[in-house]
This record gives sequence, C-alpha cells and structure tokens, in this order.
Amino acid sequence: MKSKPEILVVDDERIVRESLFHWFKNGGYAVATAASGAEALEKMAGRPAELLFVDVKMPGMNGIELLERIKAEYPAAVVVIITAYGSIESAVEAMKKGASDYLIKPFKPEYLTLVMEKIDQQLDMARECNYLKAQLEKKTRFENIIGRSAPMQAVFDTITQVADQDTSVLLTGETGTGKELVAKAIHAKSRRAHHPFVALNCGAMPENLLETELFGHQKGAFTGATHPRKGFLEVVNGGTLFLDEIGEIGMKMQIDLLRVLEERRISRVGSSQTVPVDFRLITATCKDLEKEIAAGRFREDFFYRIHVIRIAIPPLRERKEDIPLLARHFLSKISHETGRKVDHISQAALKMLQGYRWQGNVRELENAIERAVVLSTGPLLGVDDFAFLHAAQAKPAPGGSLLEMEKGYIRQVLDDCAGNITRAAAVLGINRVTLHRKIKRLQLSRGPQR
Amino acid sequence: MGRVPAVAPRVVAAHIHAFFGLPAEVLPGLPAPVYALDAGRMQFDAGKIIQRLEGEAFPGCRKWIGVVEGDLFVPIFTYVLGEARQGGRCALVSLCRLAQKDGPDASPQPTVLERCAKVALHELGHLFGIVHCPDPLCVMHISGDVHELDQRRLALCRYCRRQLDQRLCQP
Repeated sequence: MKSKPEILVVDDERIVRESLFHWFKNGGYAVATAASGAEALEKMAGRPAELLFVDVKMPGMNGIELLERIKAEYPAAVVVIITAYGSIESAVEAMKKGASDYLIKPFKPEYLTLVMEKIDQQLDMARECNYLKAQLEKKTRFENIIGRSAPMQAVFDTITQVADQDTSVLLTGETGTGKELVAKAIHAKSRRAHHPFVALNCGAMPENLLETELFGHQKGAFTGATHPRKGFLEVVNGGTLFLDEIGEIGMKMQIDLLRVLEERRISRVGSSQTVPVDFRLITATCKDLEKEIAAGRFREDFFYRIHVIRIAIPPLRERKEDIPLLARHFLSKISHETGRKVDHISQAALKMLQGYRWQGNVRELENAIERAVVLSTGPLLGVDDFAFLHAAQAKPAPGGSLLEMEKGYIRQVLDDCAGNITRAAAVLGINRVTLHRKIKRLQLSRGPQR
Repeated sequence: MGRVPAVAPRVVAAHIHAFFGLPAEVLPGLPAPVYALDAGRMQFDAGKIIQRLEGEAFPGCRKWIGVVEGDLFVPIFTYVLGEARQGGRCALVSLCRLAQKDGPDASPQPTVLERCAKVALHELGHLFGIVHCPDPLCVMHISGDVHELDQRRLALCRYCRRQLDQRLCQP
C-alpha cells in the first residue's frame, strides 16, 4: 500500500485545526496540529511533516513567513496555504514563495480531495526521484575506479576534497589511466551531479569543428549550417564540461576558452549576441603542459586558469598491486558481456600480468583480458592465455643481431615466469628440453634477473 | 433530529442491518439542533452537534447516527453531506443536499433515500475506524457531492469489509 504523507495543520483557530484533523484522520493520514508558526517549527524539528496546511493570518509569525521558513529549512515539504481572506495578489505571492496550492476557506470538500490527489502524485514523484538519485550516487561513488593502492587512495582523497568546489581541475596521466573516469567521479560527487556531464576529446577533431561543437552556431554561419545549434558550453547547463587532450588545442581556441572562463558568456559562431553559461571545467592531458608553454605552444594564462587543482593519475606500472583487482574486475565484466564461462585467472597469470609493462595502462590491461577471454579454451585463464603479451613486448634492440634478440626475449620470458621452465616453455611455444638447451647455449641464468 | 421524514431513519436502519449485518433501531426523535445553528452561514455546525451527542447516553447502543434535515458544515468546508470522527460513537447525515428540489431534475424520493443510506454507511464505517477507500465503488470512497455519491455501491469492498469484521470482533 502506498505510504501517505504525514500532515501538519497550522491554524490559530481550534475549530479549523480540529476540522482538518478529523477529515485527514478519516482519510487515513497521520496528522498533527499547531496553533502558531513557532509551534509548527518546533513540531517540524521533532518530526518533519511532508505536507503542511498553513493559515495565513496568525498572530506572531504569519503563514507566508512560516512558508518561507519551511521552504528554506525543509525544501522537500509541500505547503498548502489556506486563508479566509484570499486575493489574487496574496495567492501569487504565496505561489512565488513556494506554496503548492492556495485554498480560500470555506471551500468545497471535493477541492481538498483534488488538492490531495495532486499532492500525492507530487510526493510520489519526489520520492521516486530521491530514490533514483540515491541509487545513482551509490553507483558512481568510485565504483568504476578500481584501486586499493596508496597512489590511487591519494587520488580518491583528492577527488573527495575537490569535488564539491567549483574550481577547475586538470587531470594528468598517461593514456589509458582512466582520466575520464576520474572526471566522472568528480562530477558525481559534486553539487552539479544532477546536471549533465559533457565530455569532448579536443584531440579528435579539427579546430574549426571543435569551435562549433563548443560554441554552437547560428543558421547560415557556414556552409551546411541549416539550423541554429547550441554548443556544448550551453548544453552543459549547470553541469560539468570535461575537455580531454586539452594540450592539443590551438592558440586561438585557448584564447576563446580563456575568455569564456573569465566572462562566463559565449556567442555562437555567426552571432554577435552573448549568452550566459554555467559549468565546471575539468581538463585532461597526457602532455607536459609546462614544456608546451616553454615551447610556445600553450598559453601560460590559460594554463593557470585550467590548472587550479591538478590530479596526477598514476600509470598502471606504479600501482602493480591493483592489477589483480583490475584483472578480476575486467574478467567478470567481459565474461558477462560475452557470455563466455571464464571465471578464474590463475595466480601465475596474475603474477605475469603484474610483471608486464602496460604502456597502454588500464585500457591495455582490459584489452588483454578481453582477448584472453575470447580466445580461452576453458574456464581458467592461465599464463598461456597471455602469451601474446610477450610477442607484443619483444622489441629488437636497435642494430641488434638475431642471437641477441633471442637471448633478450628468452630472458624476458624467464623473468616473467619467475624462472619456471615449464611455464616459460609454454609461453615460448617450445618443449622443455629445447628450452634447457637454449639456456645453456645462450649462457642465460635460469632464475629471474632483478 | 428536527423535522425529518420518518422514512429516512428507517431506511438507514434497514441498510445498516442489510449491508453491515448489524442490528439497528430507530430511536425517538430529538429536537432540531438549534444550538449548532450558525446564523451567518444559515447552516448547522456538525462539530457542535457531534460534541453534544457524544455526551448523550443511548443505552444498549454501541454507535448512533443522527439524521438532520438542515445543511451541515464544518468550518473549513462550505458544506458536508455527513460527519463522523474516527472511532467515535456518533455520526451525522444531512438530507439537505441529497435532493434536487425543484424543476424537472428533482430527485425522486428513492434516490434521495439511497443517497442518505450511503452517507450513513460511510459515516458508520468511520465510527468503526475504517478510513477512506481508494476503490471508487466502495461506499467508503470519499464523495464530494451527490453525483460522486451516486457512483458508490451500497456495499463495502472486501478490504473494508474485512476491516469492519475485525473491528466488530473487538470489544
């Protein structure tokens, strides 16, 4: 059964309080009464009602003053104003101050029934909205960013500290470290969480296209502009704008964005009129922007605008202890998505993954897990399932001979397999006897070289 | 109470017996509740009448229903068709707005009496602690005027019926 809102009736006349009290009791509502605004606030402090019926004319605090206090302290509460001295002006004033309805007493009983039906629907929607918001908060609270290592804990702490400010954040880190995920986490924990999160990769498009994407355009601004279009700076509307690869944008775009950040107004391409914009900026780069400034490719004033807070996201090789966690997470996700019944990864394989360089970071790890799952022949991923990593990693030394190449590769595989001949032979695709012979010929030591 | 057609309370008693399964009798009439008349509104204050009747003793009666000719009100409403307090002992039914008095649309007496019975059953339900029902056919569904009242059946839905049975088992 749907839960009914708790009601508070506030009127200085006892008979009015009693009439409404009995009517709502007959309707199955939990109802309390208060004879004044002060008493109403006391009762709200003890047990907040969801719905209030408030008389306008009361000694001390009048109904409109009470309405303002209630809406300030309990914004979700629904307030219906009742009065015997109604006027259009007072009705408009009450509605502007947040009243849900305005009834002039005495009124027909069916009016109150209709008001209650409307309020029930309103409260249902508010409850559903609050529930969904709570679910959304739970879901995005670092859930998509996996890491127990000290460097990642430091990142999480910084996210928590800066999320609720409106300051610009610059995320730095190698490609594939999860910069967009961190940007989303900052947005999800910010007061802008219930507004859009708009992401744009500045490196993925030419500057003129980036301009129109960000600023929008008027009809006829250029060939093909058959309709006016809002840019992301308008669309973001109270939310967060994430500009990835900010180091790729040209000087002109840097100037334009700097002006937007200072004036908080934009004009669409082809228009002279400006419109206000409201957003929080998060940027990301894998470039060293200080070097870009020194080389004259990045503006220092723009850099200081976007770089109030910097969060450096560590590469995967600096947080190896997170690799098993990430690997298991991706394994579960990919198995579910592909429908393949692969649900374990061996300790040896995990150890091997921790020894790999991961130049592509988390993205490369996810790619490797996906490849291993798709090509696996059983429910367990072992070292053999990741043999392709060594083929990818092996690079000939510049000007090196075939012998040196072979020696280097076998050395690498032995290190990754912690000196285990059986495993190393499986990775190399040769039998144990052959491997022993090669080790002897190449004068390699069997144990891991650290 | 006052000048009420004798058939009205008899119809109410018969319907209580038939649809609620409760024994009901018509008590001797009481004077019109002039103490509750609001001269400004020319209506009777239902709250004042109930307060007076709650203090009366009707030996052998668990609950009592007053049928009045005059128009009833409670301060916040322009009128009420009936009035009762949850779990109280006394309820009221007004005949005033149950009939269209003049012209070709004048309500026939059987319709008026049926409406009177519905209001009485509704208010009696409140006396037994039953709240308004969301089922639009149930007599406990709220009715703002006679047109809505005509949509109700002269019966409780099974949920309200169950509640009434539970209440009747209580002392």
